[in-house]
Amino acid sequence: MTVPIDQHTEGGKKDVTFRVFRFNPQVDSKPYFDDYTIPVERGVTVLRSLNYIKEHIDASVSFRAFCQAGICGSCGMRINSLSKLACTTQVWDVLAKSREQGIIKVEPLRNLPLVKDLIVDMDPLVDKMKHYSNWIDSTMPEASMGKKEFLISEEEFLRYDKATDCILCASCISECSILRANKEYVSPAVLLKSYRMNVDSRDAIHEQRLSELVKDHGVWDCTHCYRCQESCVKSIPIMEAIHGIREDAIESRGMKDTSGSKHAEAFMSDIEKKGKLVEATLPIRTNGVIWTLQNLMPMAVKMIMKRRTPPPPPLVKSARGIKIFREMFREMTEHVKQDHKSHKK
Amino acid sequence: MKPFDVVIVGGGGAGLYAAMEAMKTNPSLNIAVLSKVYPNRSHTSAAQGGANAALANKAKDDTVEMHIFDTIKGGDYLADQDAVQVLCSEAPKIIRELENMGTPWSRMEDNTIAQRPFGGATLPRCCYCSDKTGHTILQTLYEQCLKKGVIFFNEYFALNLSVNGSRSRGLIAMNMKSGKVEAFPARTVIFATGGYAKMYWNRSSNAAGNTGDGQAIAFRSGIPLKDMEFVQFHPTGLRKSGLLITEGARGEGGYLVNKDGERFMARYAKEKMELGPRDLVSRSIETEILEGRGFDSPAGTYIHLDLTHLGADLIKSRLPQIREMSMQFEGVDPIEEPIPIRPTAHYSMGGIDTDNFGRTAMEGVYAAGECGCVSVHGANRLGGNSLLDILVFGRIAGHTAAEEARKFEPGAIPEAEIKEQLDAVRGGMHSSGHYERYGALREELGQTLARNVGIYRESSLLQKGIQEISELKERFKKVRVFDTSDVFNTNLMQVLELKNMLDLAETVAAGAYAREESRGSHTRVDFPVRDDAKWHKHTLATLVNGKVVLGEKPVTMGRYELQERTY
Repeated sequence: MTVPIDQHTEGGKKDVTFRVFRFNPQVDSKPYFDDYTIPVERGVTVLRSLNYIKEHIDASVSFRAFCQAGICGSCGMRINSLSKLACTTQVWDVLAKSREQGIIKVEPLRNLPLVKDLIVDMDPLVDKMKHYSNWIDSTMPEASMGKKEFLISEEEFLRYDKATDCILCASCISECSILRANKEYVSPAVLLKSYRMNVDSRDAIHEQRLSELVKDHGVWDCTHCYRCQESCVKSIPIMEAIHGIREDAIESRGMKDTSGSKHAEAFMSDIEKKGKLVEATLPIRTNGVIWTLQNLMPMAVKMIMKRRTPPPPPLVKSARGIKIFREMFREMTEHVKQDHKSHKK
Repeated sequence: MKPFDVVIVGGGGAGLYAAMEAMKTNPSLNIAVLSKVYPNRSHTSAAQGGANAALANKAKDDTVEMHIFDTIKGGDYLADQDAVQVLCSEAPKIIRELENMGTPWSRMEDNTIAQRPFGGATLPRCCYCSDKTGHTILQTLYEQCLKKGVIFFNEYFALNLSVNGSRSRGLIAMNMKSGKVEAFPARTVIFATGGYAKMYWNRSSNAAGNTGDGQAIAFRSGIPLKDMEFVQFHPTGLRKSGLLITEGARGEGGYLVNKDGERFMARYAKEKMELGPRDLVSRSIETEILEGRGFDSPAGTYIHLDLTHLGADLIKSRLPQIREMSMQFEGVDPIEEPIPIRPTAHYSMGGIDTDNFGRTAMEGVYAAGECGCVSVHGANRLGGNSLLDILVFGRIAGHTAAEEARKFEPGAIPEAEIKEQLDAVRGGMHSSGHYERYGALREELGQTLARNVGIYRESSLLQKGIQEISELKERFKKVRVFDTSDVFNTNLMQVLELKNMLDLAETVAAGAYAREESRGSHTRVDFPVRDDAKWHKHTLATLVNGKVVLGEKPVTMGRYELQERTY
């Protein structure tokens, strides 16, 4: 650019050092950082700063950018260790929270294969969208399409309205703690999209999608760390979608028979009765007597040796204030039931 | 590589619809989509407002015929009336088809697809999904293409057509990830690469990549471009960035206000006020600014788009994205205060000349969407008609190419041509004899276009513009690609995009200079009146021996006679 980076803003400039992650697989054996220091005024975004660096200092700095207005999702990157869009991130805002004064660190998204500098390969995301059928397979045959509309209530529209805000920028993928350990994991973005399809009444393959989602690397692998939701650039409640799929799986697949759901039920009944857990029998109620004997005996023996066994069931006294608690518990359960009913409509 | 039956260049709404329809037409065909970005990044996603269709959900007395008339009148009678007939009568069908495939349209109380008023339309017929309509349509199409198993070559930059006499043998493109130049032999090629309004650079609402790649390739292969001088300025671009505030903001009841606190549209379009057609509203704002009734700021003079009277609830539910953008890019919350705006280059009415089936002058080559020019928008496009255009004519082009593909022999692209392209992109541009910075050239191109080929045009300004563009083209010969790597060389891609913009800028300026009248988006201060006797015709621009040669093509008329256009 021949004009200063932003001749339009009033007020002073700050010298900002952009510490940019560099890696060109053709020549570099490992990544490194390059520092570029430029004066930046209030109102300038990280993307405009990177454009300035590319045009005036080092043309080889590589990153993706397209719409520059926060809607295409191309410029996702980690800015001071948080994944977000460079085009909607103000430099001065980041600077105010920078750990190292005057320095902004810019790195590629995590959990996707690195291509070059700030560019990562998006193909794994597309592959997962395909694997989990992230599309509407319409209940209407192709030949009859275009003739009339499905009638959809505002209520149904609102069920997937927020989810369709997703621009696949992959910030949630970059922040996901499960993906760091297991690249096969379905990923928050694909769970969100799967949920969006599953609650759409026009879709015909709800069961098929769900049966894929409950397999290994699927919806049960999420550990509720909420980082996907916290980092979502469109503020989409991704965890609600993940919970939604789980509830759906338990409800519609009648999965009362798995150890996971038995564990949950044993938990619930203890809490209801005593306000605390009866740990000694929990493994038996979850996995049965034989499994417990086979798998937990050695540990039980060790625990006895070290006097670390949980109290036997008759000794587990009800928690204090159990009467009030039971009342609250009953009310809450009613609420959840109501919720489920209205969801199913 | 095994020859393709259909290669589609561009993965936006037109390209994806074409791919889907081609597969539907003949599932045994070998079809591929090439895109320089992942398809879900395409600029279709930025269309906020909606798509017009006379569904008559909102206004029960709406008809296809009224949509046709509004479109023809909006285009200042330069649109081909048979093409407009196709556009508008296919509209309800295509909107319902998208609905049937899962597009999350906003809904009316009776659970049908919601519709809102839009500029230049007699009745509210713009179907929308809050203010993310284009985004949700693009998602739906991409999802459906993945479902159908369309083959995608993502992040491939198209370089050239391989031409054998009067027909194409396929496409040559660069794989961005490897830097390799690859051949795509194909029976048919569909260009769907979007518009060219980014040549106005900072005074444009477009994505960085809307550089008219398909049009430039076609033009260099001798295919004529049509009506290139018609570039639409959207009335409400954000002051600093040129980014767009949807027409939906006015559709929902927003006011345009000058520094005297006056709703000045009363002077220019008494009846329609803020909802006049885009060319008229843009000119009105520009006039207010030129006559000193704008607000001054270091970022240039602007006027206000006032939404404050609409209330927080409506803004939050119907226009959440524009609220976010106003806050992010101007630091203004539209619930509290008016948004500073000024006109911004937004849409290119011109493009590759096609017939109503998407066919171009070259056998086996098709075009659709903003990349093509059927023409349905004439001299000025109505809001809500561009999404419709890409859907309707994307589908038609896909269908035609699929039907006709087997008529043609598969092409084989000679090795020499591939090498020639490789040399062109990787040859001299890294050498020290090259010193021009592409950033400077691109900036100057945008400035000369905005100044000399902008909203108000005039003979001496246009001559200056033509001169400056040709100087920039000369300087471009010495442009330097500083990044020498093969892997994802975005520096090289930007330089190649600039080359495309420079080639097209010449046709825009030449057409604007030749057209001595004012029609739609093209306003000549020295020829302020529409001149039907001399200029009721399309402009064709063809490259002959390296020079832009202008020709003409008659406008197809129909039921609607020429009338004065007032709002």
